Amino acid sequence: MNTSALTIGQTRAGDVCVVTLSGRIDSTNANEMMEQLTRLISSGEKSILVDFGAVLYLTSAAFRALLVATDEAERSAAKFVLCSVAGHVRELFEMGGLLEVFTIHNSRDEALKQLG
Amino acid sequence: MGRSMTRTVEIRLRNSLSEIGAARDALDGLGNEFSMPMKPLMQLQIALDEVVSNVVKYSWQDGAEHEFLVRITVHPAGVDVEILDDGLAFDPLVAPAPSPPVPGQRPPPGGLGIHMAKKLLDDVKYERTGGRNHTTLCKRFDLGAAVGRSEK
Repeated sequence: MNTSALTIGQTRAGDVCVVTLSGRIDSTNANEMMEQLTRLISSGEKSILVDFGAVLYLTSAAFRALLVATDEAERSAAKFVLCSVAGHVRELFEMGGLLEVFTIHNSRDEALKQLG
Repeated sequence: MGRSMTRTVEIRLRNSLSEIGAARDALDGLGNEFSMPMKPLMQLQIALDEVVSNVVKYSWQDGAEHEFLVRITVHPAGVDVEILDDGLAFDPLVAPAPSPPVPGQRPPPGGLGIHMAKKLLDDVKYERTGGRNHTTLCKRFDLGAAVGRSEK
């Protein structure tokens, strides 16, 4: 594992703001992710899709950040969904009992169809 | 395998979340050096992050700067990570499991980390000695050949 950094990319697909995470999300950078997500919500985005396809691993700090963002989105009547949670990243969600807590789509395409 | 076939790295950290990267990088460095398999290395990284961030956040409540030690030992049968801190006593072995999530209701943030760490490791040991928490995270996987090579 050579990449220690978390990279947060942002693109737009119609009305959906797509946030692409890559690398690892741990206690050193989970706040950065949370701040970016809550900033999007407070700036008025109504559909946010977070793509986990390139995430190496995540710790409970990341789950806390996602829970905070989910709550914020709910308060702002915004849709906040995840996609491409696969392999051992999915196992970690499962371990945390969090697969049912978030809205998770299998792929970005499927998520965009649902949100569109 | 001889008893000498181990490699130990010690990292001193201050109680700040930004310090945790130094422990993560040290474990990564050993992972590269010993060609550790990806999955157990990641699982150990997650457990390390959970336990060390717990120390940073909860061991000291006085707002002052404190230092603690992370010691990583690579041996033929795997990796042990010891965390030694002189903060409040905390035994991860008796920490309660988070309550199971209720469908349609989000669990409150927090409480998950230690539970995940224990699940991802093969063994966790804890003792309180000399006013210090001494927590050991054990991940077992075969490193015999790699450790042997690095000794030559």
